[in-house]
Amino acid sequence: MTLLARTSAAARRPAAWLAVVVLAILVVLVAAPLAALVGATIGEDADGAWGDVLASPMSSALLWQPLAGSLLVGIGTGVLSTLVGAFLAWVVVMSDVPGRRAIGVLAAIPFALPSFAIALAWESVFRNDLIGGSPGLLVSLGVPVPDVLAWGPVPVVLTLVAHYYSLSFVLVAAALANVGGDLVAAAELTGASRLRVAGRVVIPVVTPAVLSGFLLAFAEGVSNFAVPALLGLPVRFHTLSTRLYGAISTGDAARGSVLSIVLVVIAGLILLAGGRMTAGRSYSTITGKATRARMTTTGGWRWPLGGLAWIVVAATAIVPGIVLAVSTVLQRTNRLDGGLTLHYWTGESDPGISHGMRGVLRDPAVMQALGGTLALGVTVALGAVVIGTLAAQVVRSLPRARLVGGAIGLLSYVPFLIPGVALGAAFIALFGAPVGPFGSLYGTFWIIVLAGVAASLPFAFQTSKAAIGQVSGELDEAAVLTGASGMRRFGRVTLPLVSRGLVNGGLLVFVTMVRDLSVVVLLVTPATPLLSMMTFRYASEGFAQQANAITLIIAVVSVTATLVARTLGDGRDARRGQDRRPA
Amino acid sequence: MHTPRRTGRRALAALLPLALGLAACSSEPSTTGAGDDATDWDALGHDELVERAEAEGEVVVYAFTSRIASIEESFEAEYPGIDVVASDISSSELITRLAAEHAAVSATADVAYVSDAPVVVSELLADGVLLPYVPERVADALPEEHRTPLVANRLSTKVLMYNEEAHPDGPPVSNLWELTEPEWSGKVVLVDPNARGDYLDLATELSLRADEMSAAYEEHAGAPVVLDEGVADAGLQFLKDLYANDAVLVDDTDTVNAAVGATGQSDPPVGFSSSSDRRDNADEGWALQVASGVVPSPGIVFPALLGVTANAAHPAAARLLIDYMMGDETETGGIAYEPFYVAGDYPTRTDVVPPAGAIALDELGAWQIDVEATAERRDDVADFLLTIQ
Repeated sequence: MTLLARTSAAARRPAAWLAVVVLAILVVLVAAPLAALVGATIGEDADGAWGDVLASPMSSALLWQPLAGSLLVGIGTGVLSTLVGAFLAWVVVMSDVPGRRAIGVLAAIPFALPSFAIALAWESVFRNDLIGGSPGLLVSLGVPVPDVLAWGPVPVVLTLVAHYYSLSFVLVAAALANVGGDLVAAAELTGASRLRVAGRVVIPVVTPAVLSGFLLAFAEGVSNFAVPALLGLPVRFHTLSTRLYGAISTGDAARGSVLSIVLVVIAGLILLAGGRMTAGRSYSTITGKATRARMTTTGGWRWPLGGLAWIVVAATAIVPGIVLAVSTVLQRTNRLDGGLTLHYWTGESDPGISHGMRGVLRDPAVMQALGGTLALGVTVALGAVVIGTLAAQVVRSLPRARLVGGAIGLLSYVPFLIPGVALGAAFIALFGAPVGPFGSLYGTFWIIVLAGVAASLPFAFQTSKAAIGQVSGELDEAAVLTGASGMRRFGRVTLPLVSRGLVNGGLLVFVTMVRDLSVVVLLVTPATPLLSMMTFRYASEGFAQQANAITLIIAVVSVTATLVARTLGDGRDARRGQDRRPA
Repeated sequence: MHTPRRTGRRALAALLPLALGLAACSSEPSTTGAGDDATDWDALGHDELVERAEAEGEVVVYAFTSRIASIEESFEAEYPGIDVVASDISSSELITRLAAEHAAVSATADVAYVSDAPVVVSELLADGVLLPYVPERVADALPEEHRTPLVANRLSTKVLMYNEEAHPDGPPVSNLWELTEPEWSGKVVLVDPNARGDYLDLATELSLRADEMSAAYEEHAGAPVVLDEGVADAGLQFLKDLYANDAVLVDDTDTVNAAVGATGQSDPPVGFSSSSDRRDNADEGWALQVASGVVPSPGIVFPALLGVTANAAHPAAARLLIDYMMGDETETGGIAYEPFYVAGDYPTRTDVVPPAGAIALDELGAWQIDVEATAERRDDVADFLLTIQ
């Protein structure tokens, strides 16, 4: 077939047109900022940044050690998050462990808490006297804590796992809910033990979800800056992200750009490896003959498994939540010896306390910012999910177009790793000047939305991809026989079946967006107030309690959204369960 | 002598249209308002400036401190016809934002109130993003170093602090070199200079003051300082010895304050922080105190700068706001200066009485940074620090 013939054949397929549209969107939102990032590292202005990073006396401290740190943190976070998340998902969806519904609610919460809150919780227990100040709980009780537990890679990884296992949990739980009981029943007929069925049959069919969860946790782990800065720096443990932010904030943007390109390359390699693992296999579990999910009876394991699950969610959702809440009512920052007060929430201005600042609930700006934050979160979630779903659908319906699929997959994965400030600067350049007939978007709400959509595409794409990967082609084929068009088939067959996955994706985007700071910081104006900016403002002036109070408000908003999304999902499942009962 | 590193901040913004093939969109800087006109602002009388500013009716300011909110309030009370639109973001983000907006020729601020002076000078002034404006009214009361390259309205510090509760008789060290002795191993806390600009300025100043560091070493050890191979001067040698003595690097000034200042410690560390943070002692249960009188110096004082953007849409209101932020004619600078009138920060105007409750600037003995010299040396110091981790 000649290229021309192939092109004209492709042009007749709607999927090809959709691919062009999706690629165009990704080029503007992701490839352009990425190109600017590369551009900033070469040429006159960059002053040999590549040489400095790759081959100079600084390379060890600037690249190799942080690279090792990043890989350790990224892979550690990815692997452990996946294990913990998948285990909890199985407990909640498929086992008969007591209190599993409550576990399910709690397991989605850590992601809605800020990562520094979990780091703070870690510090308040494990902090030793390495840097002076007030020691943590264990040391106060006379238990010596070795540095390796208090600072460096171990607490960094564990803290990030406590934060990001939610991602795997949400994805895998959604996938497990779609594993039909017939599959499990068939496996049990072979005489395999229940645990063996879980390990050999159930887990493999949710591989796409597990892989997506790993990819998200890995990317989040390597790009997280707050936790390694807080817990790693005191023992001079660096990751690429701490070096990258350091370079940018000491006025060396070119080096920061080089480091983030290194991060993008690593992420690309991880993505490639993951794609290899699942290439050419089918993971469809939603077929024409659907049956209800079956429960595994765990028998004697019921209580130990339940206990383990409860310990995990208590340590990661309840404890940090309490620590965060308590930190807002402490008279003194992170210290109990000053007593408790509600001043930071409801107090009138008192010149003696935090320079006369009033409590956050008395500040009308907080309500305004809350409105702005909700509007941004919802709009970005909708936008990102639409684009992510279309992108995932294109990748699925054009399995032979390796290059297109690869480009879409990569562009949808890397936005995490472009430093938010660089992304923001790129958007100023893209939309700062009026383009043709369009006025300048700069300074409006919409430019923040666009940047937010770009930054949160990975969540939307990975969740959609995991969900769409489970829908069997036979359903689509059946619909083709009825003469339905591609759009109609997607809308009436695929979309309803993957709705739970999409709601999850939207939720993850919403939760990250309402607390995001780095992407929005260059784009907000006083006309577009946001809660995350208020937190930053308070924190940078040393008003930790007010900052934490706003953070708690953000967390409450996120947790509420999580609960609403779960209720929606469960409601749909209940209705679908009736529809799907085998005749 | 090295020239400052070009950092690619501008390239980031300027290359984007090229990357997209939209080069046509880049146009010459707009001449909105009277940004680059022939107005001789210095010759304009105050009344005429107010008149023009009120005709403009608005002024947009980016500031590195949330205290800009009080300025907005009091300025609008003083000039009801002018609306102040204030954003506060951190200095390094502020610099990036101004550079990106300038390159994109988009709407931008009229006034920048910014720290990180060396970066401002080498990136914003050098590229013509910011222009200086010294209100004539206060020019005579400002020493030369606070008029150029941009006007400074106050000075902040990064100086050695200690725990007053544990050391009631004064600073536990009298010479910086003591901090490199085994006795202070693991007991010196500072923010990583490779992560924060003001601490990099402090490290740079140590190198620029190598002669004083050298003399201090001799005073401390009774012998001339011996430089290791690859170490250019006594200041850098001090940093190398300090790092080798397990100095603790952290991510944030407040972490330093809590580590050094927390009461109830038997053997607290010392650390470099802002002397104005003493005002939180009562709030936080700290016992922070400045180690004044330490040889050769406890640290640095550095300026907070005010500048007008090249593409300012409200050039007159911009200058009026800068004039306002320099304080009024009273000896405390009045309501306009109140947010910055904090013990431990220092007014630049010689006719403003420093706030009570802090040690006088000349007694403190901190080094006043030379912004241009710092900008020139800074990158080399940052690179050196990366080799001694």
